Amino acid sequence: MEKKKYKLFLEVLGRFYEAGLLKNIILIGSWCLYFYENYFKGLNFTPTIRTRDIDFLVPIPPKLRQRVDIPELLKDLGFVLSFIGSKGYMRLDHPELIVEFLVPEKGKGTGKPFPLPEIGLNAQPLRYLDFLASNVIKIKVDNIVAKVPHPAAFALHKLIIHQRRAKPEKANKDLEQALMILSFLIKNDEQPVIRNTFNSMPKQWQKNVLDSLKKAKAEEIIQILEK
Amino acid sequence: MAVIKSVLKEELKNSLRMKKEYELALKKLPKGALVSRMVKGHKYYYLAAREGKKVKYKYLGKIADAEKNKYMEAKIMRAKYKNLLSKVKKQIQFLKRSLRGKEEV
Repeated sequence: MEKKKYKLFLEVLGRFYEAGLLKNIILIGSWCLYFYENYFKGLNFTPTIRTRDIDFLVPIPPKLRQRVDIPELLKDLGFVLSFIGSKGYMRLDHPELIVEFLVPEKGKGTGKPFPLPEIGLNAQPLRYLDFLASNVIKIKVDNIVAKVPHPAAFALHKLIIHQRRAKPEKANKDLEQALMILSFLIKNDEQPVIRNTFNSMPKQWQKNVLDSLKKAKAEEIIQILEK
Repeated sequence: MAVIKSVLKEELKNSLRMKKEYELALKKLPKGALVSRMVKGHKYYYLAAREGKKVKYKYLGKIADAEKNKYMEAKIMRAKYKNLLSKVKKQIQFLKRSLRGKEEV
């Protein structure tokens, strides 16, 4: 099942890449870890549990130059379009994968889906995604170049959102992933990058990150951030 | 353990939703399969569709390529959706079994 999932994941990414979409959208969520395996090459990085959801972040304003009907692009793979909840967030479902689009939520937020007619879908606005969009790197895996958040941004973002999770299990998962990524960044001698990324955050976010780390008793990371 | 259980619960919810979606997608596809017959060098088409226990043939005559493609595509998609629906059903079974354990889902 896992092999099929990876194959389909690469097929979806390959199609997005060929359609020129990956220049303008960012792969976020737990599937980033697949790309981080390449980033942490030689460090024996083994990603933790991964769900079926592949999340893509579309920075606002969207710079999607070509029109690509994504539901049509993935139709022959067996993806079906579904509408979630009363607000009608659109998703593409397949037994192996679920493709979803997100945008950064601005201001007070509208609580409504953000229309993306350029790709034939809408996106769910979520807080703190701007931070990921402004700390992006490109990684090449299997001849596909994708934009992903820098692992430091990915981990720090997880430390903020884990406090806002309604389900404690999800919050724990976020925390575990964040600490794991940070430990590999330390192994990779990237303490200055962690610190710089942390310093680029607003003060309140920094406080939230430190609170999370204190609760997790991650002393080594706290020392790096407070240097 | 709690993390795994939470992931499995979420996956079960997703699979149940997908089951409904594939059933709906199958219903939306045009019914029947295209069958052709050669009569005096001309190709005529029939639409074969099951009605209860019987397969009935509806005469369509000579049809345009676009119409032909519609039924051919529907045939491919039907096979695909049926296959994926069967996968989803297996996933649901597996997830329910995994979650059952000692407590109810």
